[in-house]
Amino acid sequence: MIRALFLAAGLAMLSPPAMAATQAEAEAALAAAQAAETEAIAAKAAWTPTEAALAEARKALASGSWDAAKAAADEAQALAKLSVEQANEEKTSWRHAVFR
Amino acid sequence: MRHALVAALNATCALLLAMAPAKADGSTVPEAERMAFQAFFFAKFPQVAKEDFGNGPYAVNEGMRKQWQEIMQFPPYELALDEGHVEWDKPFANGKHYADCFDNKGEGIRQTYPRFIAASGQVETLEGAINRCRVENGEPPLEPMTGTMASLAAVMSESSRGKPFAITIPDDPRALAAYERGKEFFYSRKGQLGVSCASCHMSPAGERMRGDILAPALGILAGMPIYRSDWGSMGTSIRRISTCSSQTRALPLQADDEEYRNLEYFMSYMSNGIPIVGPGTRP
Amino acid sequence: MSKSLFTYVVLTGAVLSLPAHADDVKAGQDLALDRAKGNCLACHTIKGGDAPSSVGRELAGIKRRFPNRADLVEILMDEPKRNLVAPMPPFGRNRILTRSEIEKIIDFLYTL
Repeated sequence: MIRALFLAAGLAMLSPPAMAATQAEAEAALAAAQAAETEAIAAKAAWTPTEAALAEARKALASGSWDAAKAAADEAQALAKLSVEQANEEKTSWRHAVFR
Repeated sequence: MRHALVAALNATCALLLAMAPAKADGSTVPEAERMAFQAFFFAKFPQVAKEDFGNGPYAVNEGMRKQWQEIMQFPPYELALDEGHVEWDKPFANGKHYADCFDNKGEGIRQTYPRFIAASGQVETLEGAINRCRVENGEPPLEPMTGTMASLAAVMSESSRGKPFAITIPDDPRALAAYERGKEFFYSRKGQLGVSCASCHMSPAGERMRGDILAPALGILAGMPIYRSDWGSMGTSIRRISTCSSQTRALPLQADDEEYRNLEYFMSYMSNGIPIVGPGTRP
Repeated sequence: MSKSLFTYVVLTGAVLSLPAHADDVKAGQDLALDRAKGNCLACHTIKGGDAPSSVGRELAGIKRRFPNRADLVEILMDEPKRNLVAPMPPFGRNRILTRSEIEKIIDFLYTL
C-alpha cells in the first residue's frame, strides 16, 4: 500500500495531468472498439469480456459519463485486438500441442 | 493384463503407421493419429474398459461413479426418450416420417455421425441431418441444442448403444481438410482464458476442477446427448461445446458453424471403436 | 526539479525493498480466490481453500520452490509462453489480471 502510494506520487510528478475525456473522444473510442470487435467476430476469435466492456462503454456513453465510456471502450479495443492476436498466433502454435 | 495388451497393440499400430511413408503432399494420416490418441488414453487409464470411455467423468473417478450409479436408478433422460419416440413417430405435414430420411429407418446408425457430405462439401452432424430431414420435408428446422432435437438425438443414440463409433473420411481432399480443421480447433487455444480442448481433456483428464472431474476427450461424444444437472435439462453435443466456449470466455459461434461441425468430426473419428453409450447424464 | 526527483528515486528504492505490507497480501488472497479474477482454486489446491482441485500443483512451499520472484511474474503473466501445453491461462497477457493484481497475488503466494 505504502509502496503503491510512493509509485503513484512519483508517476504524478513525472507524467502530465490526465485529461478528462470529451464526448467526441468517448464516441471515437467506442467506434474504434466496435470495429476491432467486428474483426474479431469475423475471425471467429471474439471473447466474451470484450462484449461486456463494449456494453459497459455504451451504457456509460448513454449516461454522459465520457471518462468511464472511454476507459471501457479502450479496454474493449485492447481485448478485441488481443483476441485476434491469439487466434493468429495459434494458427501456427497449435501444432506444438498435438499429441504424437 | 488385457488393458496392457490393448495399449501395447495400439502403440505398435501407431509405430507401424508412423513408419509408413507420408503422402507426397505431406498430408497427415488420420488412422495413425487416432491410434496415438487412443494409446495415450488407454495408457493413462489402464483400468477403464473401452466400453466405459463414453461415460466421461464416471469412467475415471470412483466417487463420481458411485453417485452416477445412484442417479441411473432413475435415468434423468427417460422423459426425453419418451418425447423423442412420440416425435419420431409423428408424420410431417406431407405424410413422410423421420425414418424415411435415414438408412435403416434411422435405427442403429448414430455411430456413423458426423458424416462428410460430398454434395455440400461439408460435415453434417446427427442434429444437422435431423434438421435437413425436416427442411427437405417442408418442416421448420429445430433449435439444435435442446428440447425436441435433444429428444430425437436421444432416441437415435439409444438405438445405437453398444455400437462402436465408425466415422469415415472418404477419399476426398475436402473431407480430409474438414478433419484437419477439426483437429486444429481441438488443439487451438481460445477465449480470454486461452485454453484449448486438449488443454483440459488430454493430460489433465481425470483431475479435479473444484467439484468436477475432467472427462477424457476419448469417447466424450459417445455419451451424447446428455441430461446435465447443471442445466436442469437435456443438451446435444453442440450445446455442451457451446457452453465450453463460454466457459473459456470465448464468444460462442453459431450452433451450426462449420468449425464446430469439423470439431465433432475430428473428435468422433478419434473415438472410432469406442461404443455409443448415449443418451447420458452429467453433473 | 531534478533534486526532488533524485530524492523521490532514493526514497522509492528504499520503500520498495521493504517486505510486502499486510494489505497487499490480503488483497492478493482476495484476487486469487475471486472466481472472476485469479480463480486459482479452479485448478490448484490452497490450504484453507474449499476445493481439492488437482489440475495444477498444490500452492504450498512457494518461497522454497520459487526463490526468484521474477519466475512467478512470468508464470502469472504468460505460462503458455514457458510451457506450450500448459492448461494455465495467460493471466497477464490476456488481461485477465493487471500487473498490479499479479504482484499482489504473488505477495499472497509467498505466504503459502
